[in-house]
Amino acid sequence: MGRYTVRRLLQLIPVVLGTTFIIHFLVWQLPGDPFAGRCGDRPCAPAFVAMMTEKYQLDEPWIFQYLTFLKNLLVGDFGESFNGVPVAQILADTWPVTIRLALVGIAFEIIIGIGAGVLTGMRRGGFLDNLSLVTTLFFLAIPVFVIGFTLQYLLGVQFPIIRPTVTPEARWDELIVPGFVLASLQMAIVVRLARSTIVENLRSDYVRTATAKGLPRMRVVGVHLLRNSLIPVVTFLGTDLGNLMGGAVVTEGIFNINGVGGQLFRAIHLHDSTIIVPMVTVLVLVYLSVNLLVDLLYAVLDPRIRYD
Amino acid sequence: MTEGRSLTGGPTGPPTAAGEAPTPLGDAAGGEIRTLWSDAWYDLRHKPLFWISSLLVVVLITMAAMPTLFTDINPEHAVLANSLEPPGGSAWFGYDLQGRDVYARTIYGARTSILVGVLAMLVTTTVGLTVGIMAGYLGGWPDGVMSRIGDMFLGLPYVLGGIVILSSVAGVRSNPSEAAIMAAVILVLAVLAWPVTARVARSSVLSVRAADYVVAARALGAGPRRLILRHILPNTVAPVIVIATLNVGAFIGAEATLSFLGIGLRSPVISWGVAIADHQDYVRNALHPMLFPALFLCVTVLAFVMLGEAIREALDPKLR
Amino acid sequence: MTVPRADAERRAESGFSGPLLQVDDLHVEFRTRDGVAHAVNGVSYSVDAGETLAVLGESGSGKSVSAQAIMGIIDSPPGFVTRGAIRFRGSDLLTLSDEQRRRIRGRRIAMIFQDALSALNPVYTVGFQLAEMFRVHEGLSRGAAKRRAIELMDRVRIPAARQRVHDYPHQFSGGMRQRIMIAMAIALGPDVLIADEPTTALDVTVQAQIMELLAELQRESEMGLILITHDLGVVADVADRIAVMYAGRIVEEASVHDLYARPAHPYSKGLLESIPRVDLKGSELAAIKGQPPNLLRVPSGCAFHPRCPYRREVCVTKEPPLFDVAPGRGSACHFWEEVLDGR
Ligand SMILES: Nc1ncnc2c1ncn2[C@@H]1O[C@H](COP(=O)(O)OP(=O)(O)O)[C@@H](O)[C@H]1O
Ligand SMILES: [Mg+2]
Repeated sequence: MGRYTVRRLLQLIPVVLGTTFIIHFLVWQLPGDPFAGRCGDRPCAPAFVAMMTEKYQLDEPWIFQYLTFLKNLLVGDFGESFNGVPVAQILADTWPVTIRLALVGIAFEIIIGIGAGVLTGMRRGGFLDNLSLVTTLFFLAIPVFVIGFTLQYLLGVQFPIIRPTVTPEARWDELIVPGFVLASLQMAIVVRLARSTIVENLRSDYVRTATAKGLPRMRVVGVHLLRNSLIPVVTFLGTDLGNLMGGAVVTEGIFNINGVGGQLFRAIHLHDSTIIVPMVTVLVLVYLSVNLLVDLLYAVLDPRIRYD
Repeated sequence: MTEGRSLTGGPTGPPTAAGEAPTPLGDAAGGEIRTLWSDAWYDLRHKPLFWISSLLVVVLITMAAMPTLFTDINPEHAVLANSLEPPGGSAWFGYDLQGRDVYARTIYGARTSILVGVLAMLVTTTVGLTVGIMAGYLGGWPDGVMSRIGDMFLGLPYVLGGIVILSSVAGVRSNPSEAAIMAAVILVLAVLAWPVTARVARSSVLSVRAADYVVAARALGAGPRRLILRHILPNTVAPVIVIATLNVGAFIGAEATLSFLGIGLRSPVISWGVAIADHQDYVRNALHPMLFPALFLCVTVLAFVMLGEAIREALDPKLR
Repeated sequence: MTVPRADAERRAESGFSGPLLQVDDLHVEFRTRDGVAHAVNGVSYSVDAGETLAVLGESGSGKSVSAQAIMGIIDSPPGFVTRGAIRFRGSDLLTLSDEQRRRIRGRRIAMIFQDALSALNPVYTVGFQLAEMFRVHEGLSRGAAKRRAIELMDRVRIPAARQRVHDYPHQFSGGMRQRIMIAMAIALGPDVLIADEPTTALDVTVQAQIMELLAELQRESEMGLILITHDLGVVADVADRIAVMYAGRIVEEASVHDLYARPAHPYSKGLLESIPRVDLKGSELAAIKGQPPNLLRVPSGCAFHPRCPYRREVCVTKEPPLFDVAPGRGSACHFWEEVLDGR
């Protein structure tokens, strides 16, 4: 387990370096004036340009620029928006809301996604199975923002049972519908993934052995079938967190939720890329770290990996 | 909108027992290819889903190629007095905020979506296939380098990567032309998506490379060109076709999402995503300028996803 | 389920005097997309306490499916038992409720599978999987069940059992894994043990050790052993009787000695002739010609007729019953006398 952890950590380093380098390169190194259109509708103030040039060493060769960019990231200095609010401050204020929203979404993925996947996998070809195949196909195809608008319109305007937008406190009950929207695509994927692994493992030799041992059906399913079938699902949930964060930008934008995604949504509309770049970079780093954790969790769940 | 990527795992990927990325068809050997294709065709012919989705795709492509077959109204023609007029009379889908015909704009929107989806798919497939085959064929350090580079791009999730690139790249920010925006969106989608295709191609190459008939061909002195063209490429085609079809759907959804966020396409490009974004503040007054583009968007993505799924099921013997 | 009650059941049933396990005219079919595969078409055999019955036949002949029918673990759908009876101590298992069958599975009739690596659950330690037998069927505590698991591993001679009980299946060698499967099967002292090609996946030297272990366990516990194999060589030393299967039927049943000395069915004869023999080195092996039958369209009459050198008209039209060749010996061939005489 120790060796596996170290190996995973070492593999993460080039990915982090590479990904941050790609971002840095695209933002600062492409031909053209890096400040054009960067400060909202007006040109950037000369003082701002001077500050940024100083901070990101924009007069130096690119390797210095990149190292400065990395150093700033490492020490938690993510820069300021063009009207002077530190990005670290914005992130600190908005994280709790986004985490709450993500938790609601993940709860949907686990409860509905895994629940429906297991149920339909166990009864393949039944009415419920066909219903879920069609439903998930729709959720796979319809973009999150369309689902968001549809639910907002139906539940918030047409048959008002929720407020169309979420209050700044973002209470748990207000986050149920946005959380569902956020998780809609992943839920559909989880249903299909869980179903197919269940179907596959139902036919596996070790499930047959468990039955031949005379174990009660509940135990065969609960102890032997589920544990194995859920390993890929757990992995998927972790590795797909990046898409969940992208979805949070859309969902928080639609429901006007004051989280990290909502901030990004507004920053995009204000063309404030000084806060877009560091915020996205932080999200990407969070995503990569969660991926590492999921890999480690995978090794905990599957001993074949751990003892490689 | 992002299933093309997510279904195949994230940046560090789920480490499978064999240590390889899972492929839909990793172990189809060359000798089985012919029966694989005819079996798949047999399977497809008996699937209503395949026919429905193919029909939709054909209609949509016709719409994209020849919008004038469907409408002779100029989508740019604006009569402010008609602003947000509901459907009726000559305007089947009503008028939008600027008093333009929603039906005509929805038809012309298909052109943009299909163009972006198909072009991005072509770039993705070309790059992914080339890198994947090279990595799988060469092995050793070139494989390591190419795979790590792919991982770096996969470290950028779709929407987040799209946001950071499209909001930063100078040429796009400052008042770009229609073609420049489209090109930027297509390239962004391709840049973020190619590693998935590359992974799939690479692992199917790896599974063929060790197959007896390839080893035999190599022993008989077949050069790399011949090996790749005659033996390796045909085997990677099946899984790549599946990914490519699903990608078209995913790209169309992603383009709409980016346009909706305000960093993808924008006026004067006629696009469903832009139409939805432009009218989101007016839902209480008029639903139709959003409803019809959204409907077309969903049906289009659905058509490509259904087609991709049908092909995937037909080509993957395990799913039969 | 407590131990005293199990003993009581055993006593109550011990009054029965017929065979321990008797399979009678068993039919199993698989209803697949391509049609109905008739995997088992009227198999009958029986095994007594302390006896070893070898079931022999090429792959696809329905050996595993008939064993799965006895265990009640056929994939259903697509598989269905359509006819026949499986009598265990006189009572037909096919008429029991699911719960009654479950209590017999693993406890009274146990099974060992061919590929121990895939038959063991990869994510649990072997200790957990062994202890599960005692915890579920006998309600033992974790600690007690683990002690019993270690005893079992000692009994099948796995070295350093006390440490290895915490290892996972993939950390064992093939032979050791099969020993664990065996330990799991004998955990509760079953009356009947079915071993489905227990050595096919193993090296030759390991094969012999496993067969020896099985034979020894059987001697100690007086259980009935059904040994499924496609390799005549494996069973020669351990089996008492052999049942030869072809296309889901028993085509010949005989003692090992009789079958080896004078087969009474052309198929058994073909099998014997295809064993490489030292004394015939250099000469060509007379393997059985032709393809194994397609179970979707089993040939009419005698299913073996397309491949049979003794074939006549009647073989195509009339299905041969199991003729009595000698007491305890049968052959399903119209011309068994010719075959027996080696004509
Ligand atoms: N799960 C299944 N689904 C469909 N057909 C099956 C299944 N299991 C077995 N069969 C059919 O039963 C036949 C006999 O299989 P089996 O008993 O496993 O043969 P063997 O004698 O090699 O053990 C196979 O050839 C196959 O046609
Ligand atoms: Mg078998």
